[in-house]
Amino acid sequence: MTKDGFTSRLDRRTLLKAGAVIGAAQIASPFVRVARAADTIKIGVDNPLTGTYAALGKNEGIGMAMAVDEINAKGGILGRQVELSIEDSTSGDASTAVAKARKLIDRDQVSFILGNINSALAQAIANVANEKSVFHVVPGGHTDSVTGSNCHWNTFRVCNTTQTEANAVAGAVIKNAGKKWYYLTPDYAFGHTLQAGMEKAAAALGGTKVGGDLTPLGTTDFSSYLIKAQAANPDAIIFLQQGDDGVNVLKQAVQFGLDKKTHLAGAQLELEVLLGLPPEARVGTWVFEWYWNQPNVPGVKEFVAEVRKRSGGHVPTARTWFGYASIHTCALAAAQANSLDAVKMARAMQGFKLPPEIALMPDGAYYRAGQNQLIPDLYVGHPQATGKDDPEDLFVVDQVVNGADVSPTLEETMCKQDWPA
Amino acid sequence: MTQLILFNVMNGLIIGAFYALMAIGLSLIMSLSDVINFAHGGFLAVGAYLAYTMTPYIGFWGGLIVAPLLTAVLGLIVEKFLISRVYGRDPLYSLLLTFGLAFIFEDGTRYIWGAQSLPYQVPGWLMSPLSSSLFFLTGYRVFMIFLIVVVVGGLFFIMTRTRLGLRIRAGTLDLETVSVLGVNVRVLRNLNFGIGIYLAGLAGVLAAGQLGLQPTIGASLIMPSFVAIIIGGLGSLTGTLLGGLLIGVASGVTAVFLPSATEAVMYVMMAAVLLIRPQGLLGEEGRF
Repeated sequence: MTKDGFTSRLDRRTLLKAGAVIGAAQIASPFVRVARAADTIKIGVDNPLTGTYAALGKNEGIGMAMAVDEINAKGGILGRQVELSIEDSTSGDASTAVAKARKLIDRDQVSFILGNINSALAQAIANVANEKSVFHVVPGGHTDSVTGSNCHWNTFRVCNTTQTEANAVAGAVIKNAGKKWYYLTPDYAFGHTLQAGMEKAAAALGGTKVGGDLTPLGTTDFSSYLIKAQAANPDAIIFLQQGDDGVNVLKQAVQFGLDKKTHLAGAQLELEVLLGLPPEARVGTWVFEWYWNQPNVPGVKEFVAEVRKRSGGHVPTARTWFGYASIHTCALAAAQANSLDAVKMARAMQGFKLPPEIALMPDGAYYRAGQNQLIPDLYVGHPQATGKDDPEDLFVVDQVVNGADVSPTLEETMCKQDWPA
Repeated sequence: MTQLILFNVMNGLIIGAFYALMAIGLSLIMSLSDVINFAHGGFLAVGAYLAYTMTPYIGFWGGLIVAPLLTAVLGLIVEKFLISRVYGRDPLYSLLLTFGLAFIFEDGTRYIWGAQSLPYQVPGWLMSPLSSSLFFLTGYRVFMIFLIVVVVGGLFFIMTRTRLGLRIRAGTLDLETVSVLGVNVRVLRNLNFGIGIYLAGLAGVLAAGQLGLQPTIGASLIMPSFVAIIIGGLGSLTGTLLGGLLIGVASGVTAVFLPSATEAVMYVMMAAVLLIRPQGLLGEEGRF
């Protein structure tokens, strides 16, 4: 104990400094690294472990770890065992994500780098990976530019572009709700391009925008936006928030009874969000990028069973599959090129079709040449309040859309790859 | 348009009352113990998760009563064994301590309850809006306001009408004299911390009814409380209450005109107050 308990009064400057430290807290993050041996091949993972995308990052991590175990059981990559070097990119701080990417590449000497869930961070990591000529896979950051106007020869993406998602779901929303839409959009790269994509897709079908608001990432109370959206009297409110923001906005919208006044819909929806919502808030028209309950697709049942063993009984989400497919993409690239040279691997993956036991979807999935974007199936449908046979069966797939039918053409993506000589 | 603004003012008062509930707890601790409790949001999250865990056994109402009390007990323990050790030292010590605690709470909740959002449910009859046009006035939000009024009213009663409150207020002004007069300052600070954390726990349970329950729930809710204290003035509970309501209304009205600035407006107000009236609207002259 101190001798004098009364000196040292708190002053305003300290309080203000304290505020600055809270800001810094958003950036600081735990440091996670996996022990490694010298002769192994390292795959760097620069993905969120904390913040609004922590749950998504965790699920991608489960899929990644599972893929690594499968690859190692079959002899590894080019005969060498594989291990993950994992860093917390944070959920929204690009400078941290870039610093972690540089550390993974420069210090840990990874042969591949994976990341990120946040689109802005994915683009930032892509730029570092390009500068260093490292094979890069984006498991789950959707903004168009990553495989579009700002694409790189060495960056491959597993999840869809925002425009593809918008094209897949727009028709269903117009059919179920109507043509006048009001947008609530997270204010960063992903939200901006997803809204632009939805506007474009809707316009092609005669849909119009009656209004829209940008909401800061990490918003907790959406009530004032919802009041405004309802005042515009739209046929549908289009929610483009993801992760915890998505849970918060939908929960509040349904508490306000907006699901009874208008149609609640959006583009991308994830199982993580549905699991975080009370049953009555599981409503609307959406698109999933992968779904675990596909009884007629070979290999899915086994995949689900294995993930359940690793996740305390939980089913895989699209995120689990993203992580799984990303790691397998690295291994397949090395095997196809018979080399760890990034240029050779990237060339070998042009137009490459994923084996069905990894694609795990009815029409399969392939990396489109000249863009490095995976073209998979998409699952348009609606949530159900409670699962019938399984408590986590919360989505009903109304229609499987072949990604090739809804992806923008290569010219439309504006991707121009600048390959090294 | 007028209706839209009116709606947002009413809605802002609801949000502001919630900010005030958190801020008052924070302010109590700050005023008496000179501790900027960064871990306040962590306690808030613990309160919410405890309520979630207990709800299947003792119901929503049981959780609402018991969880904040358990959180307060945790607060008393943390104060006794950790916080009390840095009293009287440079504020940097308590700042670093509670900063570390905030991380421990966030990662601890993530470790115990998982990173996945959990669906915390409030009773169905509280869920629906009271009227079709005033749809943002749900039963739950009205109840929340009622509870906040009762709790804050109770707190003001304690502060002005009981011996404990008298001592806390006196200690805020001059702790040394209070100690010389025979008051056990250690116990006083401990109890005061417990009251503050009780309010954090209660805010956590109330927040979980409207939001997804996530490990980051505290961190994302706590920042406006600091702003409310600075605007209202340190050392004045009425000021803190006013500060909370003001930023709630300001961000609500901003949403009508410039939606992407709903958060920024709080900080603009804070900057304005610091420039024009640095001690805060109702803060004590000379404290800062």
